[in-house]
Amino acid sequence: MEKQQYAIEMRGICKSFGSVAANKNVNLNVRPGEILALLGENGSGKTTLMNMLSGIYKPDSGVILVDGQEVVINSPEDAKRLGIGMVHQHFKLVDIFSAADNIWLGDDKSGAILKKDRYTTVRDMAQKFGFDIDPRKKVYNMAVSEKQTLEIVKVLCYGARIIILDEPTAVLTVQETAKLFDVLRRMKASGHAIIIITHKLNEVLEISDRVAILRKGEYITTVDTASTDEQRLTEYMVGRKVELNIQRPVVEKTRPLLELRDLTIKNDEGAVAIDQVSFYIRGGEILGVAGIAGCGQKELCEAIAGLRPIEKGMMIHKGANIVGLPPKAILEKGISMSFIPEDRLGMGLAPSMSVTDNMLLKKYDQSKGPFVDRKTGRAEAQQIIKELEIVTPSTETPVRRLSGGNVQKVLLGREIKAGPNVIVTAYPVRGLDINSSYAIYDILNRQKKDGVGILFVGEDLDVMIDLCDKIMVLCHGRVMGVVHAHKTSKEELGLMMTGALDLRNKHEDKPAGIARDSRIEDREEEEG
Amino acid sequence: MKKRQPLFHVVKREQAGPSRQILAYVAAVVLALSVGAVLLTVQGVEPVTFYRQLLTMGIPGSRYPWRSVENFIKLFVPLLITSMALALAFKMRFWNIGGEGQFIMGAFWAGFAAMKLGEILPQPLMVLVMTLCGALGGGLYGVFVAALKVRFDTNETLLTLMLNYVALYFLQYFAETKTEWNFFLDANSARPKFAKFPENSQMLTIPIGPFQLNLSLLAAAVICVLLYIYLNYTKRGYEIAVVGDSPNTARYAGMRVGKIVIRTIFLSAALIGLAGAFQVSSAGVLSTSITNDVGWTGVVVAWLAKLNTVGIVAASLLITVLQFGCQAASTAYPSIDANFANLLQGVILFIVLAADFFTRFKLVPRSRKEAVK
Repeated sequence: MEKQQYAIEMRGICKSFGSVAANKNVNLNVRPGEILALLGENGSGKTTLMNMLSGIYKPDSGVILVDGQEVVINSPEDAKRLGIGMVHQHFKLVDIFSAADNIWLGDDKSGAILKKDRYTTVRDMAQKFGFDIDPRKKVYNMAVSEKQTLEIVKVLCYGARIIILDEPTAVLTVQETAKLFDVLRRMKASGHAIIIITHKLNEVLEISDRVAILRKGEYITTVDTASTDEQRLTEYMVGRKVELNIQRPVVEKTRPLLELRDLTIKNDEGAVAIDQVSFYIRGGEILGVAGIAGCGQKELCEAIAGLRPIEKGMMIHKGANIVGLPPKAILEKGISMSFIPEDRLGMGLAPSMSVTDNMLLKKYDQSKGPFVDRKTGRAEAQQIIKELEIVTPSTETPVRRLSGGNVQKVLLGREIKAGPNVIVTAYPVRGLDINSSYAIYDILNRQKKDGVGILFVGEDLDVMIDLCDKIMVLCHGRVMGVVHAHKTSKEELGLMMTGALDLRNKHEDKPAGIARDSRIEDREEEEG
Repeated sequence: MKKRQPLFHVVKREQAGPSRQILAYVAAVVLALSVGAVLLTVQGVEPVTFYRQLLTMGIPGSRYPWRSVENFIKLFVPLLITSMALALAFKMRFWNIGGEGQFIMGAFWAGFAAMKLGEILPQPLMVLVMTLCGALGGGLYGVFVAALKVRFDTNETLLTLMLNYVALYFLQYFAETKTEWNFFLDANSARPKFAKFPENSQMLTIPIGPFQLNLSLLAAAVICVLLYIYLNYTKRGYEIAVVGDSPNTARYAGMRVGKIVIRTIFLSAALIGLAGAFQVSSAGVLSTSITNDVGWTGVVVAWLAKLNTVGIVAASLLITVLQFGCQAASTAYPSIDANFANLLQGVILFIVLAADFFTRFKLVPRSRKEAVK
């Protein structure tokens, strides 16, 4: 095994964009039948490096060897010919085509005619590796995990022997991840070389044979997975010792600040996105919302902020029904919503406008007279830049130019500055590295100590179990139950997320998600 | 495998300062003029003399130099106001391509007022009424599209574009229909022909010696300053920027996006209508070619200037000089006509866009880059 030739080897790779060096002298190698994890914080150049393998970028200097032969990869076609296949974080599929047609589309050998046997070809290939895929299914009908499977089958069909997966588990549940890992192991057994990009340490330890670590574009080292642990990997990645524990301070809880009762919301297509959901948030607690991507989290957040009409049900804030109020009135009641979408900039910030202008977004109208009060905005911008250690050239820099973590700090900073009593935050650490993520958890915990009620819509179950007080699990817009974070496990949450476990009526004495001490008047009438 | 490498790499520059950008634009204009010079030489025209005549616009040596300046202002003001108004809509990412239609509607309703009330009202009041009618006519024509967009999410580019032709044929109908009720036409002419407006509807002028300063120039200057303040310092301007940047964010911040779109587009279209009113009031007569294409040229100006107020003043000045100067200079050369101005304008636009690329990116030769390493 030791003497075996590398399937792929990169030596001294450098790549810079303008004056920013994305990769500095990176060395990387993978053997056939090996899984290499590529680990690094955001902006450490993992994706850039892999894009050079798949022909999207070209290195400024350095050499790439495939099977010991030096090659130049000028385009994705070249990469394909060399047997390199990449599964991108954002899927590159044609929605209205079937699975088989998507594969046919990018195949050089397939010719110009759609042949009848394409379905069986694809099915055979899928069965070989134990994939579960229907070749006739249209992509728009597929769940995220199915789309990912299709992407993998696609690169296998094109004859890839070196497969690169860019953060494949970010969109999967625990069970789906386990399934993916099974497939990867089978591919490894059949002699494929696999590179997997991730920043989840536990997955690195579980699946990989070796780990290569990048930090700020620089190649740090490659270590054998068997001889390392989370703590050491983190140190390589961050460059110093890091406390890996998330705090969960215990705070005196108040009465429910925000309560939702039998809330039903429709999505953009008119289908039911949130189906008779009831829950409540007390001051001084963090309620986590777990669920597979797209099971109603976005609609729920939008409805709370008043951006989406509510079909049915009640939304009670400090004893008053706030259903039907315009977004502005809800803002004024002290409910803050920050949603970090996939592109990170879609909602909550005006990307081309300066940090100052973004600080003013929700309060520009409060100053007297016809003019915008930029002086206060600038002062506040300076303050949060200092408090949250935001890296920006100036307060007048457009938000779009800041890096992801700093953008998210601007958004959260503004929300907290407004002194809300309820914070709804969705994916606040989306795509952030360890350092920035911990900074955000800190901010949330400080708010919690001040008696704010926090609804935390998250992705990473490990984090939610450590950070939240309670976790509500959604599945297809329905609540599968609310569990205490310190009493639950990832497996239990995973089962609930897929709908296999329903804990709604676990405590029969108490209807799920309804607080006994709400301050709503009609409830008192019912009881009286 | 031999290394295939491109000769040049496109590399992003550090954020270029404004001085560099201005330099690039000036260089682009100079380059465009030299391209024009080549074309002129091919046609046997001496470029230096031609450009001198173009830039001086035939003013020196003319018997009525002030008359040339007056005519220049008549061309300049509608373009300036229209470009400013379009930039206002573009800031909000509302693609108002309907400048022509809104301009025609402004001119039409101003003309309507002039024909109906011209004999009754005193001159200053008459001009004011025409201006208001023009602004309202243009504004409502534009707001129609904005309302459809807000209500049904229609495509404003298509609608404003098509409505240009509706407006043009609407005006043409009045220009060509000789009947009793059509009070727009000259009663004494057998052929259908727009009648001259009564004297009282002539645009006001301020006499400075023999020169008559058209009041619309002052109005345009005031509009520029007010729009600059409106866009950059007021809450309404802030709303426009946010809606333009991200309508979702605007809704999230509690703004009423529909209201803002309608208000802004009304303002934009009303200003274009106002420009139309100024134009007919200065010309003293309606015409189917009243717009002089400012609805289209204004789009070019707004983009050349990157929606920047000072830039718009400079760009519309440049384009007017080209158009007016070409007209003046071409009288001396039979082979050149005013179309040459359009050609030059096209070349300038093209080269400025290229220059813009080079302020943001640079080409680095492959070999030099490796030498740096």
